[in-house]
Amino acid sequence: MNDNPNYAEAFEELQQIVSEIEEGHISVDELAEKVKRAALLIRICKTKLTSTEEDVNRILKDLDSTESEGN
Amino acid sequence: MPEMLDDKKIFSLLEVTTSIQKTLATRYTSSFWVKAEMNKLNYYPHSGHCYPDLVEKVEGKVIAQLKSTLWKDDYNRINQHFIKVVKAPLKEGIKMLFCARITFDPMHGLALRIIEIDPVFSLGELEREKQESIARLRNEGIYDRNKSLPFPLLPKRMAVISVQTSKGYADFLKMIDGNPWGYKFFHMLFPSLLQGDHAVESIRYQLDRIRKVASHFDVVAIVRGGGGEVGLSCFNNYVLSREIALFPLPVITGIGHATNETVAEMVAYRNAITPTELADYLIQKFHNFSAPVQKAEETLVGRAKRLVADERHHLQTSVRYFRSVTDNVLIRSHHEIRQHARDLFKQSNLNLLRQKQTHSSIVYKVRTMALSLCSIRRQELGQIFLMIRKDLAAYMKQESGRMSNMTKSIANMHPENVLKRGYSITRIDGKAITSIDKVMPSDKIETIVADGVIMSEVLTTKKSPGS
Repeated sequence: MNDNPNYAEAFEELQQIVSEIEEGHISVDELAEKVKRAALLIRICKTKLTSTEEDVNRILKDLDSTESEGN
Repeated sequence: MPEMLDDKKIFSLLEVTTSIQKTLATRYTSSFWVKAEMNKLNYYPHSGHCYPDLVEKVEGKVIAQLKSTLWKDDYNRINQHFIKVVKAPLKEGIKMLFCARITFDPMHGLALRIIEIDPVFSLGELEREKQESIARLRNEGIYDRNKSLPFPLLPKRMAVISVQTSKGYADFLKMIDGNPWGYKFFHMLFPSLLQGDHAVESIRYQLDRIRKVASHFDVVAIVRGGGGEVGLSCFNNYVLSREIALFPLPVITGIGHATNETVAEMVAYRNAITPTELADYLIQKFHNFSAPVQKAEETLVGRAKRLVADERHHLQTSVRYFRSVTDNVLIRSHHEIRQHARDLFKQSNLNLLRQKQTHSSIVYKVRTMALSLCSIRRQELGQIFLMIRKDLAAYMKQESGRMSNMTKSIANMHPENVLKRGYSITRIDGKAITSIDKVMPSDKIETIVADGVIMSEVLTTKKSPGS
């Protein structure tokens, strides 16, 4: 189980858990564990929607370095 | 007038040029329609005049060229008309049909003076150019290249090609940054011209820059808007369209116009038409991600609750069932025990009764036997008693005789009688003396005889011989 999934992975795993529970493949014994995991995935997904790690300055720096390499 | 030198007739340059001017003026008296490509517009903003370079090419090779003039007033009128019909200003590099006159100026030489340009012809030419771009991209198999790229699940990071001060860009940012769902987009502007002759070059420059830092971005958005319908022909440019089609990131366009889609828009991953629709499209992608997450959350909570409730119900049913079963067993057992108790009681009573009967019969027997035994013993005792009485009387008679003899003997043995017969008792200190060892010479002793006491003092003692 990936502890730091990207949003595509988190999304996919979440859908997997949902379909498992919808099809009744989850027993009461597993339920707490699955619900806990799903809550984590939901939090990851929601965080991805409302935050960004990209930084203009870093891109400009990369751009400068590639452009000076070109010269 | 020409000079004569020797036999030579000599003209001045002005005379030559004036002659040419006259000849041409008489030869070309009226205007005529010409089809040519405008290689360069050569517009001089200061004077407002244009001096377009006209060429004719065969397979890309120039086979004829001529200068032309387009005076300020003609240019303004023609350009207005052109913009109205073609939706683009007069530009370089297009074929046109124009009405012109041959002019010859002694200073500037031969030129065509353009009086009128037929925009409909250029429109057709532009359309043909556009169709050619499409056909070439299709032939090269790259027309759908950008569309076939995988689109990111969340197009969060955008490289925006736009004009910083344009209304379209402002509208776009307002929607993207102010979305009420709190979705966070990252966007970075790569400023570029988006219309006119230099747009192609400018956009290509920025695409090239974005390609270098493509790993930082999910999509490229080309945002124009506010510029009306004019100047969009640059987006039909083959080279630009090709670059968009081959771009490694999905390119989305919001160029903002109502009619004819341009080639760049056709080959882009998606043409959202306007900047606000482009913003909507991106936000919708977030919704598409967010909604299932939301739904997943609801489904999970609902299902989990139901599962727990079902299990609880199941458990309660089992408990109730268990209780009812045990109750039944208990009742049945109670009943059975009571029944057993009753049976036992009845049986015991019966046994007791039977025992009692046996017992009383034994008692009766015992009593009968005891009585009969008693009667026998009593008779035996009676006989024994009679015998004893008889024996006793004889015995008593015999013993009575013996007693009277004994009484006589005993009377003879009385000390009084003994003393009378001459025996005496000697005592010291009240005690009878039985040995010479009990007395010492000068001890006072008393001797009792039948009729009194003799007091004496011991002189000596002498042991009897043989004692």
